[in-house]
Amino acid sequence: MAADPSVASAVKMAGAFVGAGLALGGGAIGASVGDGLAGSQTIAGVARQPEAQGRLTTIMFLTVGLCEAAYFINLVFAALFVFSLGK
Amino acid sequence: MGLHLFAAPLVGIDITPGVHETVKVAGLTINIDIVWATIIAGLVVITMGLVLRAKATSGVPGKFQLLWEMAVEAVQKQVDDSIGTRGAKVVPLALTLFIFIFTCNLFEVLSIGSTIDWLPAPTSDINLPMAMALYVFVMVQRAAIKNRGPVGYVKHYFTQPFSPKMFPINLFMNLVDELVKPVTLTLRLFGNLFAGGLMLSLLAALVIWKLGAVPIGGILSVPFTVVWKLFDMGIGAIQAFIFALLTILYFDTAMASDAHPAPS
Repeated sequence: MAADPSVASAVKMAGAFVGAGLALGGGAIGASVGDGLAGSQTIAGVARQPEAQGRLTTIMFLTVGLCEAAYFINLVFAALFVFSLGK
Repeated sequence: MGLHLFAAPLVGIDITPGVHETVKVAGLTINIDIVWATIIAGLVVITMGLVLRAKATSGVPGKFQLLWEMAVEAVQKQVDDSIGTRGAKVVPLALTLFIFIFTCNLFEVLSIGSTIDWLPAPTSDINLPMAMALYVFVMVQRAAIKNRGPVGYVKHYFTQPFSPKMFPINLFMNLVDELVKPVTLTLRLFGNLFAGGLMLSLLAALVIWKLGAVPIGGILSVPFTVVWKLFDMGIGAIQAFIFALLTILYFDTAMASDAHPAPS
């Protein structure tokens, strides 16, 4: 059975969007859990030792940056799916 | 008939990220807009360095010198904390990476989210981050070979995390550990800046959103763009610092002696 080109392209596009959605959703869940953990532990640390706030804030921003990076890597792949592979 | 909120989804506009002005040289496609943006960023950094050199004083420093001293001190402190005095050679590399990437990231403020920006952030194309990550990777391997010697370098791959009896697992883990470094270093920086550009395109696409005759999207997109660009400058600074910090940490693991493995 020869595949109808329009159906094939529609399936491709649907797959691209589903894949991009899964990547973005999973990435967002992971990044937000990581950010939340970093933030909560920073608050706990500052509550214990208020004088350490300056150092803890720096480390927190670094950790948040690293966590967010995982999400942004996913976003690149989602854009790859949607804008180039799904065409 | 005006575009309706539900009748005109934002997908209706063409968003094409990753399109560049290209030039073909000997079968290679070169993103020429990234090349000239990189050159301009480099010139900015070099000019700032030369200006600092002309104005540097041991007396009361100006604001410009204070800014540089802050950056140098931040990098110096990281190197001293993690590698120690052995890592003095890493400071210039990490500092240059930090300043250069930060300058490149700031170019994002100039772009408007069109298909081809005339001065895009050079780091929003994968080629520049990958080049820098590969350079760091090669220099880290060189430092590791210098530290352990060629034999020790190879031996290190077989004997590290577990006992030498489990050498296949050791080899596999070490290889994955090393090879993943340049990939994540590239994608982390590229992904953040690329997402920034994509967000600008989406905010520009907001302009087609109207309710009847009221251009809601056009009104909203101005403050949103301003807020996003401010946020993006923060992201750019953090990512530049993370790139430099990870460079330092990779050099730390490469320069650590086998007897006292560096905490990861």
